[in-house]
Amino acid sequence: HFSDLRLHTVTALCSRLSLSPLSCRRALSGSLSRDLSVTLPPPRLSEKSLVSHALVSRSQSQLSRLSQLNSPVSHSLVCRLSISLLSTLSAPVSLPICLHGMVGLSLGEKNFIQGGIAQDLRSDGRKRLTYRPVSVETGVIPQANGSARVRMGATDVISSVKAELGKPSSLQPDKGKVSIYVDCSPTAAPMFEGRGGDELSTDLSVALQCCLLGGKSGAGAGIDLSSLIVVEGKMCWGLYIDCLVVSSDGNLLDALGAAIKAALSNTGIPRVLVAAGASGDEQPEVDISDEEFLQFDTSDVPVIVTLTKVGRHYIVDATSEEESQMSSAVSISVNRKGHICGLTKRGGAGLDPSIVLDMISVAKHVSEQLMNKLDSEIAAAEAVEDDS
Amino acid sequence: MAGRRGTNPTTYSPSLKTQKTRSTIFKDDWVRPDGRGFQQCRPAFFRTSAVTAASGSAYAEFGNTKVIVSVFGPRESKKAMMYSDIGRLNCNVSYTTFATPVRAQGSDRKDFSSMLHKALEGAVILETFPKTTVDVFALVLESGGSDLPVVISCASLALADAGILMYDLVTSVSLSCLGKNLVIDPILEEESYQDGSLMITCMPSRYEVTQLTITGEWSTPKINEGMQLCLDACSKLANIMRSCLKEATTTSQE
Repeated sequence: HFSDLRLHTVTALCSRLSLSPLSCRRALSGSLSRDLSVTLPPPRLSEKSLVSHALVSRSQSQLSRLSQLNSPVSHSLVCRLSISLLSTLSAPVSLPICLHGMVGLSLGEKNFIQGGIAQDLRSDGRKRLTYRPVSVETGVIPQANGSARVRMGATDVISSVKAELGKPSSLQPDKGKVSIYVDCSPTAAPMFEGRGGDELSTDLSVALQCCLLGGKSGAGAGIDLSSLIVVEGKMCWGLYIDCLVVSSDGNLLDALGAAIKAALSNTGIPRVLVAAGASGDEQPEVDISDEEFLQFDTSDVPVIVTLTKVGRHYIVDATSEEESQMSSAVSISVNRKGHICGLTKRGGAGLDPSIVLDMISVAKHVSEQLMNKLDSEIAAAEAVEDDS
Repeated sequence: MAGRRGTNPTTYSPSLKTQKTRSTIFKDDWVRPDGRGFQQCRPAFFRTSAVTAASGSAYAEFGNTKVIVSVFGPRESKKAMMYSDIGRLNCNVSYTTFATPVRAQGSDRKDFSSMLHKALEGAVILETFPKTTVDVFALVLESGGSDLPVVISCASLALADAGILMYDLVTSVSLSCLGKNLVIDPILEEESYQDGSLMITCMPSRYEVTQLTITGEWSTPKINEGMQLCLDACSKLANIMRSCLKEATTTSQE
């Protein structure tokens, strides 16, 4: 009686996926083991969610009927069936890039993501602390003083640096100014159109400023502000770092941090010759040379590592699917010396303080690899740019 | 880059000469202007039901920082027309024009608003008011340093006064790093010279951190020490807030 119902479920599924019922029956007789050797074309995303919805609805209807019949069947059995089928379907498949913001995930998919993370094998085959391949291009915006484009998987961000002369603030007359601004373009997600992306943009801008600009007195800043001064108290360079999110598949903060680092290493500030004889409160005469001169020293610029907590484990470089399952995330910026330059916790759930300290040590460990990888990528990108 | 465009022409304001002389002071032997020890917070004053028209409200005064928070709700909102089975929390932090030493345009601080939202959303039980919105409006009357932590603590007190169900009171304390010293609950002057800051928001009874923001360069033992100091201060602040709530209920019963 019960086995008939199970078979009915599987055959109904198979007809949807055009599997041969024979192979499924063989699989069932092998009592739901994971080695269902079925060859089928990689399903498109819509099909997969259809399948999982079918599974869930069917299992629920089966369950209600079975409970009426008082059969000793557990919900877990039906779930295991669904998960084992899903795992064979989705193991080598890369999902198409149509996920953003609030992703609609079915229960089967959620369990799959959480289970994978618990077993140190994520949906795309990475381990918990592995980054997606990073690609960096510099000099993508010729009119800006410096620019870079960073791609981490499907996340694509562009960062540009423009320098303009201005007056330093009266509280800190010997330091230049830096302002960071992030814009989420509607090309990344339709909900970013108009004012929709404002909250995320402010969030990211504040987090970047916190991580890269250090304390109010300027100590600990990734960017040395005193190198931006032209005439103390009267004229200084102001750096406007503008970032654009072109495509979002999770882990925006890390990608933006990497893009800013690359853009700064690509930045050339023109040399300024100050006319002698300026006195008092007059604005000094300046002559801006056309040859780019001052190359930024970016060895102190920190790198940002975001650790996302899903269940009881942390992952690095989460995709937007994995981010939708997170309970909280901590973004830590670490510099070359291994000191923390900034930390922001994002996400609603509370965290035990000991977990936060543990995350800090994990982030330090991961940041070394990321820093080296980024440095080599940036050097390669600059070499390509010099050749062309 | 020279100033904001489209603002009112600045009125004359006497320049504060004292700031220039202080900038060369060594931070390692900093003496706090109000005579507190490095690990001493300012005395906290809380009062609930400050605004009678609101569902709940609170007024907080920490030295020179004065903040008033009103909570309206749960009520229906035009923005939340879509059905959702959990409630929405809408936070807004704004400064008055006379809050800062130099008159500035009173404006919403979007970054503070989103930080307040993140600090509170972990504590409010949103499932208890589905389809509706709870609005939290915070107004900083005078900014005397450590503004955001005071706003967060005052907001959780206002939510408690409004009767919104929460897992625990949310308290927040910030810490400044001046040279080698860790200075808790900094005033405006200390904040302008700080080398780094650590702001922690936690739910003391559950011993959980809901928000943590660190700027500046810190080594791990320093972070550890700073966090322990702040968590200790948060639990003491929570006791003060609880006694304030109890007082309010006993006086209303009389």
